[in-house]
Amino acid sequence: MNNKLQAKDLINIGIFTAIYFVVFFATGMVGYIPVMMLVMPFLCPFMAGIPLMLFLTKVHKFGMITIMGLVLSILMILLGHPWVGLPFGILFPLLADLILKSGQYTDWQKIKTASMVFSLWIIGQFVPFFFMRDSYFATLRAGYGDVYADTLMAITPLWVFFVIIAFAALGGLAGALLGKSVLKKHFQRAGIA
Amino acid sequence: MDLHSFGVTKKSKFWLDPRTKITMLLIVNIVLMGGGYSGLSAFLRPTLALLPLGLLIIESKLKAALYYLIFVSLAMSCEIFLVSQTAGLINLLLVIASGLLSRFVPPLVMGYYVVSTTKISEFVAAMEGMHLPRQIIIPFSVMLRFFPTVAEENSAISDAMRMRGIRLGGKNASTVIEYRIVPMLMCTVKIGEELSAAALTRGLGKPTRRTNVCRVGLGLIDWILIIFSLTLLLLWIFLG
Amino acid sequence: MISFENVCFHYENGTEKNCLQNINLTIQDGELILLCGESGCGKTTLTRLVNGLIPHFYTGNLSGQILVNGNDPSSTALYESAETVGSVFQNPRSQFFNVDTSSELVFGCENMGLAQAEIRRRLLQVTHDLNLHHLLDRSIFALSGGQKQKIACGSVAALEPEVIVLDEPSSNLDTASIRELAALLALWKSQGKTIVIAEHRLHYLSELADRIVLMDNGSIKKVFSRSIFSKLRNPELAQLGLRIINLNQLNPNACVTPKIKDTSPPLVIKNFNYAYSYCQLSLDIKHAKLPQKSIVAVIGHNGSGKTTFARCLCGLLKKCPGLLEIGDRSLPPKQRLKNCFMVMQDVNHQLFTESVLDELLISMETPDNNEAQRILESLNLSAFKDLHPMSLSGGQKQRVAIACAVASQHPIILFDEPTSGLDLVHMQQVAQNLQHLSELGKTQFVITHDPELILSACSHVMHLKDGQLFDQYPINQNSVSKILNFFTNETQPLSAERAV
Repeated sequence: MNNKLQAKDLINIGIFTAIYFVVFFATGMVGYIPVMMLVMPFLCPFMAGIPLMLFLTKVHKFGMITIMGLVLSILMILLGHPWVGLPFGILFPLLADLILKSGQYTDWQKIKTASMVFSLWIIGQFVPFFFMRDSYFATLRAGYGDVYADTLMAITPLWVFFVIIAFAALGGLAGALLGKSVLKKHFQRAGIA
Repeated sequence: MDLHSFGVTKKSKFWLDPRTKITMLLIVNIVLMGGGYSGLSAFLRPTLALLPLGLLIIESKLKAALYYLIFVSLAMSCEIFLVSQTAGLINLLLVIASGLLSRFVPPLVMGYYVVSTTKISEFVAAMEGMHLPRQIIIPFSVMLRFFPTVAEENSAISDAMRMRGIRLGGKNASTVIEYRIVPMLMCTVKIGEELSAAALTRGLGKPTRRTNVCRVGLGLIDWILIIFSLTLLLLWIFLG
Repeated sequence: MISFENVCFHYENGTEKNCLQNINLTIQDGELILLCGESGCGKTTLTRLVNGLIPHFYTGNLSGQILVNGNDPSSTALYESAETVGSVFQNPRSQFFNVDTSSELVFGCENMGLAQAEIRRRLLQVTHDLNLHHLLDRSIFALSGGQKQKIACGSVAALEPEVIVLDEPSSNLDTASIRELAALLALWKSQGKTIVIAEHRLHYLSELADRIVLMDNGSIKKVFSRSIFSKLRNPELAQLGLRIINLNQLNPNACVTPKIKDTSPPLVIKNFNYAYSYCQLSLDIKHAKLPQKSIVAVIGHNGSGKTTFARCLCGLLKKCPGLLEIGDRSLPPKQRLKNCFMVMQDVNHQLFTESVLDELLISMETPDNNEAQRILESLNLSAFKDLHPMSLSGGQKQRVAIACAVASQHPIILFDEPTSGLDLVHMQQVAQNLQHLSELGKTQFVITHDPELILSACSHVMHLKDGQLFDQYPINQNSVSKILNFFTNETQPLSAERAV
């Protein structure tokens, strides 16, 4: 078996990244309902677990998941999302790839873990809300005074960020389970996976 | 966002090199996302926000341009003038609403402009120009190619669902989601396989250097826009 | 020269079908070889051996020796085979890498790394040869099936391959486009290219093919020369499981006009008009009257508004203001959605559940297991009731969709090109299904480019042209010539640009 990525593999990455993104994005629409904003990091990787699991049935070589994360992140930037998403979109998929490789891309426990880790690429999108605020708050403090800056800091406390991380990881785990059950229920019976 | 707009050509007299578009996108993204109105920024950021506005007008998306102008200028003037004048809950709402609008809308509009006016072959040419490896270029271009297909399949499936009287929501929302995602995946995976076969028989993946015949090249307008946005970026970094 | 020597092939995860056994065949340079035979006989598999997709893309167990111009495609990388062998596929929707036509035409040349000037020269050449001027710089999604197939051929021709394989290229084409395809094949032949074409529709190839290879169950059953093949009469062809080779031979007596002795009031179509914002095509049918329980063939060239008409009739286009009157009931779009059922061209879009039985149950107003079983029985689907619909063959899937239509109890059923890409046996099955539905009292509309189907099942014709009802008549001895005339003589004006 040739371990280098072939054109066929690269095309597969593109196809599944598109499907993954569409499912992710469509699910993300619920994020426009303010209350759902917090649930989004869970819901998106959960639904996108279906295409992700189907993709994993076609992945047997190192690098495919990493490239998927990278391509997703580039797309996010092109669509005008924060550029800080990029390092996260490379790091977590790379970790997921390593985890999968250690299980020869077939170990179910490893697949679950990898799905959790992969889902964390999304947290890069939330970083500006929490971490880039230092510079933001510094200017606020100068302009509008301490009281105001403190109030704003209070409603976006750091722990919310960790809740988002937890949600994303849980979403990845639940998505893996959902994906596996859908594969079994539909795709294997239809002879596709 | 209308997925049909991805990479589909529109005849337009105003043509920019994809690299120009991507440069502008990144700079709008960095500067407007970075926030702040102290010092020179109070001038730099609104100026940069004019860029997407101009592009919308040139693409004769006048309605969108009008909305953009109203929302972004309202949001920015709120941030600059009103936020310091108000207090309490109103202040909080103003800060959040105007902060989000002024930060996220311009990059999103810019992103819309880039994807809706650039051909896939132009993206490929631009990425090759940036010396990205084909391990990134091929998946990326396939992905762009595939969005309209997913949209097409999706609308056919939703037609079929309407004819069968299956609607989203109601008592069996979970199964309905399954009815949507599963057939969509089944159809797109099949099309993907055929697409893949067709591309391979046309020589995709040949390790030698690809030629690119699509029009790429920096013209006068490209340079003006690049220098304009780069200047704003540098000013913002060092003086803002 | 292409040669097969004792070639056997089994798909890796494949069924017994589609495998190849002991293929021996030599194809001379410049020959046009037509591969025919029932679905699943191995035609497509054979084309994949020539272009190298087997074993590089579709894996499996391959033995024997294949040589294409001296190279073995199985040990040559696909991108190298691409220089000598060009491939055109069945589905025009899925063989484009770009979404604009010009980029697609030069895509192969770009991959090959040819010099820019050379690519421009070839683009001009191909545009000229295939008459593509009006198709340049267009969005792929705005083209009709025939136009897409032309672009696909163009992008293959630009690579200037010595061998061209085509896998059922006419499946989604109307008569005029098929004629253009035939002209293109003649051009390629005159340029000395070796052509291998797998096809069910034979009539456009009978004058072009040098040899006709009949396949059955994965092996070559018989090889005909053109002179012998073209003398075969329809009954002999039918015995071999093949479609007609000469449309004029279609026997008017063969048409079995269903006897409609029905006193129920007719269907009246009123003021169906619809205009797309992004193209010229519009639909404008003021009045049409059809008896209930009839099987109406909706014919017309690509872009004449057939699909739009069907979507209006189904109520899928909400903004189409027309009314459908059945007796004293007058149905606006929303009501039509509850009275019509369309069996789509790609039935994969309308199968949702995990078993055939479930598929029927969700179609019913109130799920009734016994009734569902009965319907499955009547369509010979009982054996499949617990299988996943997607695991069935194309024809079986279509029957499941028909079963759903019956289960839904909607009185009007539409078919969108139900026989595209079907062999004789499956076409006849579709015709039987139409008759069966007619006996159940359904009124049916069949959008089709298939004269054989029309003559073996339909009772009326609605002929659309430029979005208007051009002609409408019942099918009988006198009108058969009218239908044949449409399918054999009429040419499509170049201005009919766009199909939706």
